Amino acid sequence: MTSLLTVKLRRDLWATRSRLLMMVIAIAVSLTVFGAVLLAWSTMSREATSAYMSTEPASATILLDKAIDAQQMAAIVAEVRSRPGVIEATGRTQFSGEVEVNGRLLDIPLQVFVAPPDDPMRMAKFFPGLANWPPSPGEIFIGRDSLALLGVAVGDIVTVEVPGGERHSLRVADTVYDPSLSPSPQEQTGRGYLSTASLATSGDTAVLDQLKIQVADPGQSTPSRDRDAVVAVAGDVGEWLQGSYSLSIREIQVPPPYAHPHQWQADALLLSLLVGGGIALLLSTLLVANMLNSLFTQQIPQIGIMKAIGARSRDIGRLYLAMTLLVAAVATLLALAPAVLIGRVLVGQIFAFLGIEAASIAAPWWAYLVVLAAGLGLPPMMALVPLVRTSRTTVRAAIDHTGLPSSARTATGALARLSRIPGLDRGLLMALRNTVRRPARFLLAAGLLASAGTVFVAGVSLSAGVAAIEQQQTTQRDWDVDVQLARPASIEEVTRLLGQVPDVSRVEGWNRVPTGVAGPGQIPVTRTYPDQGHGRVTLTALPSGATTFRPPKLLEGRWLDPAETGAVVLNQITRNNTLPDVRVGDSVQLLIGGSYTTWRVVGIVEERGGGGGAYATAEGLAAATGQPQRVNQLRIATASHDEQTRVGVADALDRALTDAGIEVASAASVSRMEAISGGHLGPVISIVLAIAVAMGVIGGIGLASTMSANILDRTREFGVMHAIGARPERVRRIVTAEGIFLALASILVAILPMLGLTLLLGTGLGNLFFSAPLPFVISIPAIAIWITIAILGAVLATEAAATRASRLTVREALAYL
Amino acid sequence: MIHVGDVVKTYPLAGGSFTAIDQLDLDIAEGEFVAIVGRSGSGKTTLLNLLAGIDRPSSGTVRVAGADLGSLSESGLAAWRGRSVGLVFQFFQLLPTLTVAENVMLPMDFARTVPGGQRRDRAERLLERVGIAEQADKMPATLSGGQQQRAAIARALANDPPVLLADEPTGNLDSVTADAVLELFGDLNAEGRTIVVVTHERDIRSIVGREVTLKDGRLVTDQAERAMVTV
Repeated sequence: MTSLLTVKLRRDLWATRSRLLMMVIAIAVSLTVFGAVLLAWSTMSREATSAYMSTEPASATILLDKAIDAQQMAAIVAEVRSRPGVIEATGRTQFSGEVEVNGRLLDIPLQVFVAPPDDPMRMAKFFPGLANWPPSPGEIFIGRDSLALLGVAVGDIVTVEVPGGERHSLRVADTVYDPSLSPSPQEQTGRGYLSTASLATSGDTAVLDQLKIQVADPGQSTPSRDRDAVVAVAGDVGEWLQGSYSLSIREIQVPPPYAHPHQWQADALLLSLLVGGGIALLLSTLLVANMLNSLFTQQIPQIGIMKAIGARSRDIGRLYLAMTLLVAAVATLLALAPAVLIGRVLVGQIFAFLGIEAASIAAPWWAYLVVLAAGLGLPPMMALVPLVRTSRTTVRAAIDHTGLPSSARTATGALARLSRIPGLDRGLLMALRNTVRRPARFLLAAGLLASAGTVFVAGVSLSAGVAAIEQQQTTQRDWDVDVQLARPASIEEVTRLLGQVPDVSRVEGWNRVPTGVAGPGQIPVTRTYPDQGHGRVTLTALPSGATTFRPPKLLEGRWLDPAETGAVVLNQITRNNTLPDVRVGDSVQLLIGGSYTTWRVVGIVEERGGGGGAYATAEGLAAATGQPQRVNQLRIATASHDEQTRVGVADALDRALTDAGIEVASAASVSRMEAISGGHLGPVISIVLAIAVAMGVIGGIGLASTMSANILDRTREFGVMHAIGARPERVRRIVTAEGIFLALASILVAILPMLGLTLLLGTGLGNLFFSAPLPFVISIPAIAIWITIAILGAVLATEAAATRASRLTVREALAYL
Repeated sequence: MIHVGDVVKTYPLAGGSFTAIDQLDLDIAEGEFVAIVGRSGSGKTTLLNLLAGIDRPSSGTVRVAGADLGSLSESGLAAWRGRSVGLVFQFFQLLPTLTVAENVMLPMDFARTVPGGQRRDRAERLLERVGIAEQADKMPATLSGGQQQRAAIARALANDPPVLLADEPTGNLDSVTADAVLELFGDLNAEGRTIVVVTHERDIRSIVGREVTLKDGRLVTDQAERAMVTV
C-alpha cells in the first residue's frame, strides 16, 4: 500500500469512526462471550479431570449385601489385586446418618466414608488439610465444603449415629478436600471421613462392605477409560466373590471412567454455551462483513476515481484489507482482557459447581490462540467476498454506481400496491418500502435482532420451565415433613405414635429400599458414584390409597394396579443406567435385602431428577420378600404449612419416634428438598441470558448500522425530499418508522426459532439436569419485554441516522460523494 | 496517437439492446486538441470512456498512446491509464479525505513514474502551473468549483501523460472559470499534449483545433477535415 493510501486509510478510519466503533463493539462483545466460555471450558476440562483423577478413583465398587470383617476383607483385597485386569483394590464402607454438632441435632445428614486405619490410600483417596491419614481413634475429618453447611469447625465435637443406632462422639481433627464428590452444599449432605478405629467399640469387629477396584486394559498400568471393560472385570470379580467366598453381591457400581460426577453436566453446559458464543461471534462477524460491505460500497465512487488515475485492484484490496484487519485487531485487543476476566469468574463458578479447587485457573495456550485466531481471522474471512468484489470494481461500475439496486424488487413492488389503499400515511408507506429496499441488509439486521430475541425469550422460558416444575412439585407436595426411618417399622405403630404429636394432621408411610436391577442371572450394575447419590436405585413400595404420590408420566406400558404383586414400574433413568434394552413385559431381578427377586416390568415412567427408580405396591414388596408390610419413609401433613410449624413438627416427630425406640435417619421440612433441586439450574439460565444480552447488543448494533448505511445510501434522496419541501421532522419520522418496522419484522421472524430453541434447550438441558425434558413453557412476560426492548432499541438505534437524515441540507446531499 | 476503428458499443437493456456508438472510425494525431460535441445521448461520453479504457467496445479496435486497449486486462488498463492518460471529470472527483497536493501525488504513487522524494515537489509545481499552489494543503471540500477542477487537471498531469481526456470539464463551472479552465487546456495543448474534450461549450471551436460532432453514436461532422459524413 502506498504511503498516500495509508494517509487515506487513516483519514477514512477517522471519517467513519462511529461505524467502525460499532463494528469493533460488535466483534468485541461476541468475542468476549466466546473467549470467556472457551477459556473457562478449556481450563475446566484440564483441571476437573486432573483433580478427579488425583483421587485415583475406583473403576468399580463391588457392594456386598452383608458387610464382612476387616481381616476377611484384607484377605480378599490381597487376592483381588492379582486377578486379571485389576491393578489396585481396597476395602471400605460408608453410611449416612443423623449428626449432632456440639450437642445440637442437625437436619442435615452426614455421609461418612470409612477405611481401615492401615489403608495405604493408593486409590479412592481424599486429601486431609493438615493431618495425615488415619485420624486417631475418637477423631473424624470433615469435608472442607461441609463445614459451613454443618456449622462445624475443627475442634468441635460431632456425634455420629452409625447403622445399628450406636452413637459415637468424635472430635473434628481436620478438614478434607475430596474432588471425587459433588459439592456438599449442592447435595445438602455433610461429609465425614473416619477410620474403622474410630467406630470400634469393645468387643466389636470393624466391618466393611465395599470392595473398590481399579481396572486397567490388558498390558496397561493406568485405569481403563473403557466402561464396558471395567464392567466385565468387575463382573468377573463379583462372580469370583460369590463362588469362592459365598458372598452375596448387592450391586456393582461403575461410574463413567475419568469423569467427575458433575463433569458431563459442566461439559455439556459449557459446550452449549460455546456453541451459543460461537453463533454470536459468527453473527457479529457477518454483521461486520455487512457493515464493511456498506462502507466499501459507499467508497465505490472513490475507488472508481483511483482506478481512473492508475490504481490497481490489489492497491484497493490492500487498503480495505488493512481497514478490516485494523477493526479485527482492535476488537480482539479489547475483548481479550474481559474474556480472560469473565472466563476466570465463570471457571470459578464451575469449579464451585464441581467442588474442585483448581491448581491453576490459567487457560491453556491453545485456547488463547483460538480466541486470537477467531478475533483476527474471522472478520477478514467473512469480509473477503465484499472486499475482493469491491477492489475489483471497474471505473465503469463505479460510474454506474448509485448505491441502490437498479431493479425494483418483488417486495417493494408488492408494497407499492399498498398505496392504492386510501387513508394510508404516505410517509409510513415510504418507510415500509425502504425497510425492505435492500433485502439482504434487511434480512441480516432483522435476523440479528431476531436471534437476540430468540435467545432471550428461550432463556427466560427455560427459567419459567424450571419454575413450572418446581411449582408443579410444590403444588403436588401436599405434605410438610419427610421422615426417614433407619429401619422399617409397622405403619400402625408409627401412625399411633405420631397421632399424639401436636400439629400432625395426616401420616402416610411408604417403604423405600435400596435395590439393584439386573437381568435374569446377572449381578446388578449401576453407574453410581461414591457419593451414592448419583445413579443410586431404590424400590419404592407404595401403600394402597397413597394420597401423597402421583404416578409420573407413563412412557410405556401402564401404572401399577392396586395391591398388584410381581409387577414393577421402572423410571427411564434406571432403565438407561441398568438395562437399557429392557421393555414392558420383560422380567428383571431386583436384589432386595440380599435376595434376588423376580419381577415383570409393566411400565416405564418419566421422572425429572429425584424419583425412586423403581416402583411396586406395598403388597408386591411384601410378597416378594416374604415380609409383612412395613414403612421406612413417612410423609406428614401439618396443621399449618409455615416453615416454623414444619421444623417444630419434624423435631417433635423425631423425639416421639426415638423415645419409642424407632430409629430415625432424618426428619426434616420438605423445604430442604427444594433447596437441593433449586441450586442446579440457576447458573445455566443466567449464562443463557448473558448470551442473549450479548446478542442483543450485536442486534442493536446491526440495526443501527443498517439504518446508518440506508441513510448514507439515500443521501441524495433525502436531499431531493428536502428540496421538494419535506420538513426535517417528516424525514426523521420516516427514518424512525423504518427502524421500528425492522424491529417488528425481527419479532415476526423470531417466532418460529423462538419456539424451536425453547423446545431444544428445554429438552437438552432438561435431559441433562432432570433426565427428562422441561415442560414446554413460553414466557409471555419475556415476549412482552423483548418486544418493548426491540422497539425502544430500534428507536434509539435509529436516532443518530434519523438526526443525520433530517439535518442534511440540499447542497450537502447533492454534493455527496 | 488515438485510433478508433469500426467501433460499436451496445448496452443490453430490459427491452433490447441500445447502441451508444455505431461503427465509428476516428483518428487523432499527436498534439491535436479535439472537442467531441453532440446532443445529450449522442454517444460522446461513451466515446471518451472507450478512449480511457473505462468501457470496452462491443466490436472494433481502440488504440491510445500505443496500446491496444482491447488486449489489456482491468489491471493492465489501470496501469496504462496511470502512465499514459490523464482524466478530468465534470464533478472534479477529488478524493475527499486527501489534501489537494495528496490528490495530485496519488497517481504518482500508483504509477511510480516519479521517485518518492520528488513527488511533493512535482505536485506543488503542477498546482502552481494550474494556479492554485496556495491551496496545496487544503482539503478539496474547502475549494471552489474552479479551484477543484484545476486541482483535478493537476492530478491528470501528475505522471506527465501524453493524452488528456476530459469529460465536460467546464460543465459545473461558471463562465469565467470555465473560460480559464479551457485556456489552461489550450496552454497544455500548446506544449504538445494530445487533448480530447467532451463538451457542450458552444464557443470551444475557437480554442480547439478540431471539433467532432456525434449523433446517435455516429460521427456526423469532423470540422478539422471540413468533411461531412452523412448519417
